[in-house]
Amino acid sequence: MSAILYVRPVGHEFPSFLALPEAEGMRSCSVHELKAADFEQADAIIVPSHVDQRALAAHAEALEVFLDRGGSLVFNGHLVYPVLRGLECFVPARGGRVEDLLVERVAEHPVFEGVELQDLSFRRGVAGFYGRGANPPPPGAQVLHRLKGDGSPVDWYWERPAGGRVLMHGGNPLWMYVDDPSSAARIAPQLLRWLKAGFQPGV
Amino acid sequence: MKSIAFIDGGTYYHHATYHDPELARYFAASIYAPELNDTDLAPFDCLYVASRQEAEFLVRAKRSFDAFLAAGKTVVVMSDTCAEDWVPGVRWQPAPVNFWWWLTPGADSGLRLAAPDHPLVQAVGLEAFTWHQHGYLLPPAGAVSLVDLASGGSVFYEDRVSTPGRLLVSTLDPCYHHGSYFMPATTRFLRGFLPWLAADDAG
Repeated sequence: MSAILYVRPVGHEFPSFLALPEAEGMRSCSVHELKAADFEQADAIIVPSHVDQRALAAHAEALEVFLDRGGSLVFNGHLVYPVLRGLECFVPARGGRVEDLLVERVAEHPVFEGVELQDLSFRRGVAGFYGRGANPPPPGAQVLHRLKGDGSPVDWYWERPAGGRVLMHGGNPLWMYVDDPSSAARIAPQLLRWLKAGFQPGV
Repeated sequence: MKSIAFIDGGTYYHHATYHDPELARYFAASIYAPELNDTDLAPFDCLYVASRQEAEFLVRAKRSFDAFLAAGKTVVVMSDTCAEDWVPGVRWQPAPVNFWWWLTPGADSGLRLAAPDHPLVQAVGLEAFTWHQHGYLLPPAGAVSLVDLASGGSVFYEDRVSTPGRLLVSTLDPCYHHGSYFMPATTRFLRGFLPWLAADDAG
């Protein structure tokens, strides 16, 4: 069983996500209280969108070491500080019309199994919650979802050559949909189950 | 032009707002909230405390804020900053956020202009105050509410009585939405509010 560390943000947490049976055993630590040992003890680290990225970037080296030894990082939000070497900053999507903001699937991934694109593209009929741009994927990353308008790669999965893996979502946290009466509610438990199953490169 | 310091919580949306080419001209500096107590605030006329901040760092800087206000200067306090813990006179009443009210055709936002002749209201207009509300404020006696809720309370008030300076306190959270490229009213609000705040005749 993998040890998951949830990095607590400036508020805007989702109690239903933290209360999922799949979240049992998940440790939680404020981004302002992170210590070297937190990175050393975790197999997976989850970063929510509302995190103080400046504080997280102060741990960039520890995060890199964590990944080098095979860790899993799930990052949500617009990347604007050097949190991880090699990643580029968020690029807003061009075009904000409804049809531009529709989500397209590029590749399957266990976290999104059974999740309908309609349920990512719309909440109560409103488009644009899922993504408004993307954190550019590094070479070798697999794009999972993109925006229809300009192809912004809003989600991608990357097995780093140096070790570890990154699941990137350039928007509000993936578990935002946990209480939605739609297939998007599957994301949060599937994300935790995927992390708990551990990481074997190439699988 | 007034010298405004942007108090930055390190989130992506604070970064995006501060660096927005249309808004950056109104800010003289950005101060990272955890570094407030290490920063000389004397060069500034106004502190803009952006929405959604870790209360701990603001509470820790209470003396600096008090001294700033004692010098007759302006502090802007936006939503989700636990203002009642560090800003004189603030009484904040939490309430469920009315995220979806606008989906009902002809729905009433519940907002009412309380000071239609106030120069900020003249500069911004009620429409630019209108998205959703994170609770409401009970202004201290002598403070002037600019925008009220029809059901009671204020979402934006000006307080020149609680301190020798001026407090502009609001339950609105424009930075998050503007910095997430999400809600056009929040962009309109900042484009109206910041030039007004920076103008030399804004009091």
